[in-house]
Amino acid sequence: MAIPVEQLADEMYEIVKESAGVKKLKGGDLTKAMVAKHGDEVSRSDVKAAIRILIDSGRCVYGYFGGSSIELPHTEAAENQ
Amino acid sequence: MATEVERKTDIGPPHYDQFLHPLIKENYGKWQYHETLAPGVLMHHGPAGDIYTVRVSSPRLVSVNFLNAIMDLADKYSDGYFRFTSRNNVEFLLASKDNIEPLKQEVEALGLLVGGTNNAISNVVHTQGWVHCHSAATDASGLVKSVMDELAEYFTSMKLPAKLRVAVACCLNMCGAVHASDIAILGVHRTPPKIDNETLPNLCEIPTTVASCPNNAIRPTSIEGKATVKVDEEKCMYCGNCYTVCPAMPLADPLNDGVSIWVGGKICNARTEPMFTKLAIPYLPNNPPRWPEVTSAVKKIVEIYAANAKPYERVGEWINRIGWPQFFDMAGIEFTKYHLDDFRHAGTTYRRSLHNRY
Amino acid sequence: MADDLKTPLLDELEQGPWPSFVKDIKSMAGKKEMAKDLLRQLEKSYEDKRGYWKHGGLVGVMGYGGGVIGRYSALPEEFPGVSHFHTMRINQTSGWFYTSEALREITKIWEEHGSGLLNVHGSTGDLVLLGTRTEELEPTFRALTEKGWDLGGSGSDLRTPSCCVGPARCENACFDTLAVNYNLTHQYQDELHRPMFNYKYKIKISGCPNDCTAAIARSDMGIIGIWKDDIQVDSKAMADYVDSGMDVQGLVVENCPTGCIQLDGKEIRIDNSNCVKCMHCINVLPKALSPGKERGAAITLGAKAPIVEGALFGSVIIPFMKIEEPFEEVHDLIERIWEFWDEHGTSRERIGEFIERVSLAAFLEGIGEKPLPQMIKAPRDNPYVFYEEYFAEEGEGE
Ligand code: SF4
Ligand code: SF4
Ligand code: SF4
Ligand code: SF4
Repeated sequence: MAIPVEQLADEMYEIVKESAGVKKLKGGDLTKAMVAKHGDEVSRSDVKAAIRILIDSGRCVYGYFGGSSIELPHTEAAENQ
Repeated sequence: MATEVERKTDIGPPHYDQFLHPLIKENYGKWQYHETLAPGVLMHHGPAGDIYTVRVSSPRLVSVNFLNAIMDLADKYSDGYFRFTSRNNVEFLLASKDNIEPLKQEVEALGLLVGGTNNAISNVVHTQGWVHCHSAATDASGLVKSVMDELAEYFTSMKLPAKLRVAVACCLNMCGAVHASDIAILGVHRTPPKIDNETLPNLCEIPTTVASCPNNAIRPTSIEGKATVKVDEEKCMYCGNCYTVCPAMPLADPLNDGVSIWVGGKICNARTEPMFTKLAIPYLPNNPPRWPEVTSAVKKIVEIYAANAKPYERVGEWINRIGWPQFFDMAGIEFTKYHLDDFRHAGTTYRRSLHNRY
Repeated sequence: MADDLKTPLLDELEQGPWPSFVKDIKSMAGKKEMAKDLLRQLEKSYEDKRGYWKHGGLVGVMGYGGGVIGRYSALPEEFPGVSHFHTMRINQTSGWFYTSEALREITKIWEEHGSGLLNVHGSTGDLVLLGTRTEELEPTFRALTEKGWDLGGSGSDLRTPSCCVGPARCENACFDTLAVNYNLTHQYQDELHRPMFNYKYKIKISGCPNDCTAAIARSDMGIIGIWKDDIQVDSKAMADYVDSGMDVQGLVVENCPTGCIQLDGKEIRIDNSNCVKCMHCINVLPKALSPGKERGAAITLGAKAPIVEGALFGSVIIPFMKIEEPFEEVHDLIERIWEFWDEHGTSRERIGEFIERVSLAAFLEGIGEKPLPQMIKAPRDNPYVFYEEYFAEEGEGE
């Protein structure tokens, strides 16, 4: 049975939260983590849809330092530094 | 009360069809040939009739006022249709030949030049520089302006042996394609990044920063108990990769930043295969607002090329024919150890035959 | 207004025949504090020989991970007008064609919401709106989408594909560059706006080997027009060139890289089996010669500027394919490439570096293509072959 997209979103949110400040995760990292956990029960497009849920709901935001990442929301870093 | 309109996303660009002159639509895919009527003026012939193109210089960094003036001219002379080239020139697309001269006059009255076709220097592709980028070792717009003020006659005429493509990039990231231009002007840093140990631990991931260096020059370390990184200065080649991923490692150094000059690159496949640009001058100082050392070096290269290359020979093809020793000699450029490659596959650039000119 | 704006160094760049960006920025300085402080900060850069921008910030419009480049002044107290100076990249039209009616909508929006300064166009091809504040991003985006415009890419995503003028105004086009450019930009909106790749992915589309978009040097994926059959000759036009006194022998025949052209009086003879489609003869004799009739494109992969592992040109991965509506074969190829690169590439690894790391052989296997001699300049010159087939002693094999 395919894992519901909402569940994937929640699981990925936890991963993003845990690695906050330690490692910036890319979309690909999250995909690999989900595939490692659920094997054939997740597809790339499900993971993409789940990331879109996280971003569109504002639970996560995109970041960029040399490469794009998916992070917890933050204040405008460069401005506040 | 204003009603909230629904937010649209992922609509993509509008269809190009609505931006094509009716004559272009009729001739679409059926063009037969073109002629260059004068520098900057082309005629394309198709079964439905001819369309005339007037190509005009642009500084690329422009204001809405510039565009509005261009659009007023387009309304007056080209039925509101125009386009931009891959080298940032403006092209008016005229259905009537009679509009060419009056348009040219108005364009020139705006302080713009008509040209850039065939065996000319076309517009200079360039990057952001001090106008807009954090990485810049020099300014791009100012360099382009200074160099093209000197070389404008090669934009408005077609007296070079072949087309000549000049590009400017203000750091090694090279947002423009300077690595395959006839002449490239490239901003360079010459000292290692200056590490801000205060902010680094908050702003940067240490493993990512360490991994970013192509030369393994970065090591994790700690200063007064705080994790940070250090740079092995012997190994650093000032490429700025680390700075791209870690803002606490800036390279800007007013005393040492400057400009290098590269020659002989080419993209189109005509006659010879595409070629990378090669180092001609390792360093010239940043000397704003006019960069006299850079403009005179570039002008010199253009002039010896113009005087010595055969018809259709691009800069790189000409140098390959006469050989690098003769190029350095003619250009009056000192050959130094910096010209010898020492990065990956450096050996492929060493002379491995006795085919030399003395 | 301009009386409190002292920029003696920049003022020097208002002189001379080439159009001046300083004049253009100044033309906005009366209306926009942002343009004025941009000039002031730039003047300081010219004095001090260094830039004063902070490393990019993390801003964007809701839901998108690309298209906006955050930029902040490092000296916001001195130059408050550019304390925020963000860039918005807008998908350009195929072939950079516009009407004044359409582009006026953009200039109006930008005068209202931003600095009124732009790059036409950026290096990737987008229309680049230079300089606005964080709180203006969303309103600008709304105003733009209302008029039918959308943002381009930035970061680890697909960048806005760009194409040459192609069939719209060039007799050399071997396929419809504008159509495929439009199609791919729309097909891959998600990949453009929501970065999921290892690094950036640029697509450039040129209608023939003249490669006016520099696909071979600047694009992770180049779609470059080519033909397979004989160069088409108009013998009447050919005779006219000879009659005009043009040195066809010196300019054309002797410049052919494979020596496959002969001039016989007023007639041109081309040994098409040896023609490498370099375009030289067609460029010099546009009225007499044109590309053959069996047209399509070669696909190149992997071009990039030096960062990180050195500059690369693209290499031929598909020597020839038809490029025809609805472009399903192109989609299929792109998706096979992305999938393999996604799966096995590493962070900040461009496709060119990826292919070099895993080897062309492994890459081709990964995307399901067969090796062909057109993909190489020469076979390997070292003997370190990883043989995968060998015989086992009889009775011990499977
Ligand atoms: S070339 Fe370097 S300094 Fe110039 S705009 Fe690009 S990244 Fe910035
Ligand atoms: S500038 Fe380049 S070579 Fe020097 S430390 Fe940074 S990444 Fe390494
Ligand atoms: S690449 Fe070829 S088809 Fe495209 S504009 Fe240039 S010459 Fe024409
Ligand atoms: S296209 Fe190039 S290789 Fe082919 S015949 Fe013409 S000049 Fe020779």
